[in-house]
Amino acid sequence: MTFDNENILIKEAHPRLTSSGDRDRFKELLRKRLIECGWRDQVRAMCRKFVKENNGPNNVTFDMLVNQVTPRARALVPDSIKRELINKIRENLHRQRNQ
Amino acid sequence: MNDNGCIHLNNFKAAKGTKPYKVVNAFFVSCTSFDARRYKATTCVCFTCGKPGPRMHSCLHCIYFGCYAGHIQDHSKSKKHFLYIDLSYGNVFCAQCQDYIYDREITEIALTNRVKEAKSLGVSVPYIPWLPNHNEAMALKRLRKRRVISQHTTIGLRGLQNLGSTCFMNCIVQTLIHTPLLRDYFLGEKHKCKSQGSGKCLVCEVSKLFQEFYSGAKTPLTLHRLLHLIWTHARHLAGYEQQDAHEFFIATLDVIHRHCMNGVEDVEKKENGRCNCIIDQIFTGGLQSDVVCTSCSGVSTTIDPFWDISLDIAGTSLQTCLERFTRAEHLGSAAKIKCSNCRAYRESTKQLTLETLPIVASFHLKRFEHSSQIDRKISTFISFPAELDLTPFLSSHRRAVDVGAADNNNAPEGIFEDNRYSLFAVVNHLGSLDAGHYTAYVRQMKGSWFKCDDHMITRASLREVLDSEGYLLFYHKTVLEYEGDVS
Repeated sequence: MTFDNENILIKEAHPRLTSSGDRDRFKELLRKRLIECGWRDQVRAMCRKFVKENNGPNNVTFDMLVNQVTPRARALVPDSIKRELINKIRENLHRQRNQ
Repeated sequence: MNDNGCIHLNNFKAAKGTKPYKVVNAFFVSCTSFDARRYKATTCVCFTCGKPGPRMHSCLHCIYFGCYAGHIQDHSKSKKHFLYIDLSYGNVFCAQCQDYIYDREITEIALTNRVKEAKSLGVSVPYIPWLPNHNEAMALKRLRKRRVISQHTTIGLRGLQNLGSTCFMNCIVQTLIHTPLLRDYFLGEKHKCKSQGSGKCLVCEVSKLFQEFYSGAKTPLTLHRLLHLIWTHARHLAGYEQQDAHEFFIATLDVIHRHCMNGVEDVEKKENGRCNCIIDQIFTGGLQSDVVCTSCSGVSTTIDPFWDISLDIAGTSLQTCLERFTRAEHLGSAAKIKCSNCRAYRESTKQLTLETLPIVASFHLKRFEHSSQIDRKISTFISFPAELDLTPFLSSHRRAVDVGAADNNNAPEGIFEDNRYSLFAVVNHLGSLDAGHYTAYVRQMKGSWFKCDDHMITRASLREVLDSEGYLLFYHKTVLEYEGDVS
């Protein structure tokens, strides 16, 4: 993504999606999809494993967990879900622009 | 990990209370109003770099937003403001403890605001899992017996003895026992009975039955008490001859529904006057009937509750049967209806659509034809899918199609709507009209099917299920949505 595109995203699209509530609706939709496809369970298992390997929750901080799990968790998100969300967000932005 | 916070957060709360957290949460974590969303949209960027992330945090001590890429940490260090709130989830970070802190009071505020947010957005309220309180946690510790449910478990699978042509009852009982939400209701012991111990309440009997099914025992059960109760409460089913499984299904729902009403359960009527008992919560949908006068185009709409949908055998698949069911039908000159607008009997068209969808959608394929001349069974193959989207048959969707999708700009809610259903039980009738037998296929877990033939339970493949003839088809909503009762 070029700087210009990113700028447009931050200056225009992001506030519009937030104030209309659609950003939260998309978040909710994504959450549902990730639960349905088993992603959440997989990530939860990864987290449990990491905590166990480090001798329990008292020895693990949130940042350690995030650094460890994020790359693999991201890779586990099915392409079909990414595509669905991107298409829906794109459609939503087009419609808002045309209004 | 406990949820009593940390000394730093507790000191902060003692000095300033929870108000600062409440305000930040209601405006920037879970926006509880339109105004809050507007504030968030225009101001919620990192005060240092101007970007909306990654992982935005808000200082709990002063007005400062910063990203977790370093700016919130810088602010915390230079100002000695050690507590900050993660704006995605509402968790509080303590820089002195170097981690997020769990605090029951804070968690409760966050939860209340999440429910308010969902209401303000018109989306389903987030599912709140059960968290054991102190007493419950202790009770769980004392109970040493644990049963781990693996993916290959056979718990919940038990055969049913045939008491003399009672396979029609057995296959419906197997279906009800494997209805996910009904199972959760009964295993959660939600039925509180007024006439406890009288032995007359069918809901109590079903409740017992669930306990026996899920006890882990494997021997077949005998349903004599259930049969007796049904005979007493639905007299038309009494006797030893073979009955229609569909008729039995509806009669059973009706008796359970009536007995729920007599119990002390809080079956308050909802504002729309609909019964709120477990049967109605799970099985009831609304069928809309639009009658359009061909002279004045006036529409008269009625909505009737339904527990199942009976479909004529037409076409080759469940979908085509449903399309036919929801098609506008011209009522000829022989069936004129009085139009309230024209004040005269007119020809009209009638269309049925699904106004509200139940959680369990039950379809009855009309395979038995009874007419004055002949009674016969129609064995035509009708294919049915494992996953079914009911959106095309909804009243709202049909209207949009009729208006023309092109100029239909008010459909965006549709993209957040989810009307997908998954097959979880199929009842089959084998043989002929007068010498038949019923069996059921039930889904034990996702992708794991079993055939229930009275006392015999055998593993089945999804292919086998989908290739079967199909008499009653049961679909469960794939994604559940919740209504909040937190005000």
